[in-house]
Amino acid sequence: MDKVLECYLQETRKYLKRIPEPGRTDIIKEIESEIYELQNAGRTPGEITNRLGNPKDLAKAYITGLLEEEKGFSFKKFMAVCAFYSAAGLSGMFIIPILGIIAPVFIAMGAVIPVLAFIKMADYIFNIGIPYMENVKVVLNGAEEANPVAGFLIAVVIGILLYLTGKGAWKLLVLYCKKTANIKRSISA
Amino acid sequence: MNVDGWKSQIKRGTLEFCIMLMISKRPHYGYEIINKLDTWAVLSAKESTIYPLLRRLLKEGYLSSFWQETTEGLPPRKYYSVTEKGSSYLKAMEYEWNNLLTAVNGIREV
Repeated sequence: MDKVLECYLQETRKYLKRIPEPGRTDIIKEIESEIYELQNAGRTPGEITNRLGNPKDLAKAYITGLLEEEKGFSFKKFMAVCAFYSAAGLSGMFIIPILGIIAPVFIAMGAVIPVLAFIKMADYIFNIGIPYMENVKVVLNGAEEANPVAGFLIAVVIGILLYLTGKGAWKLLVLYCKKTANIKRSISA
Repeated sequence: MNVDGWKSQIKRGTLEFCIMLMISKRPHYGYEIINKLDTWAVLSAKESTIYPLLRRLLKEGYLSSFWQETTEGLPPRKYYSVTEKGSSYLKAMEYEWNNLLTAVNGIREV
């Protein structure tokens, strides 16, 4: 058999490790037989691997079918559910609150900081004398206060960074929830 | 307009029915099933659909399988045949299939 096709079978076998023997060997033997039929029909190795799809997806198609058939109670499934809730519960205890706080606060700060710096800059340029503005300042090197104009520019950059961090945290949170829901669905299917 | 989503939904259940029908006539091997389905564009399906489906039907006890040597110098083929449980499953599917057709036709005539 062609080297490419041999590699293909080996890869598929690797991805099928969740299926116990002798089922796994049987599956590989059947795919191998299919490959010979396709070759016999004049298909090139490239056409064959294309048709079968990548090894990971092919293996996944078998494994998904397997999960569906494992309905009802089994000790293995029970352990999988326990492991899932332990992991999801523990990680959720930290991940959800941390990301849940970071996301909105950072996004809000990303907006508030440049706005305050802008007001301070306007106050400085036009000498308006807005109260409490002495409390709004951008401090450099821990002591030196930046010029309000430069301060505004720095604040805009910081604001953008905070906004992006907040947005990222939000996306992570959504991703985390989706992933958890997907795993949940796959083990209780 | 995109009818593909709907098509794949109805195809899922229909394929199982067609494969069971095919195998109930005489034992078939995978490559043969895929080729036969390919004759009808609407039923054509890839290996990654058919083989896992066959495996599931096998696990559920509707099909049984046996390996048989070929006369063409190819490696042995895995043949599938319908078990007793499978033939009552098929009968139930045929009954439901007819119900469905009657219902659809009934609605179309209204």
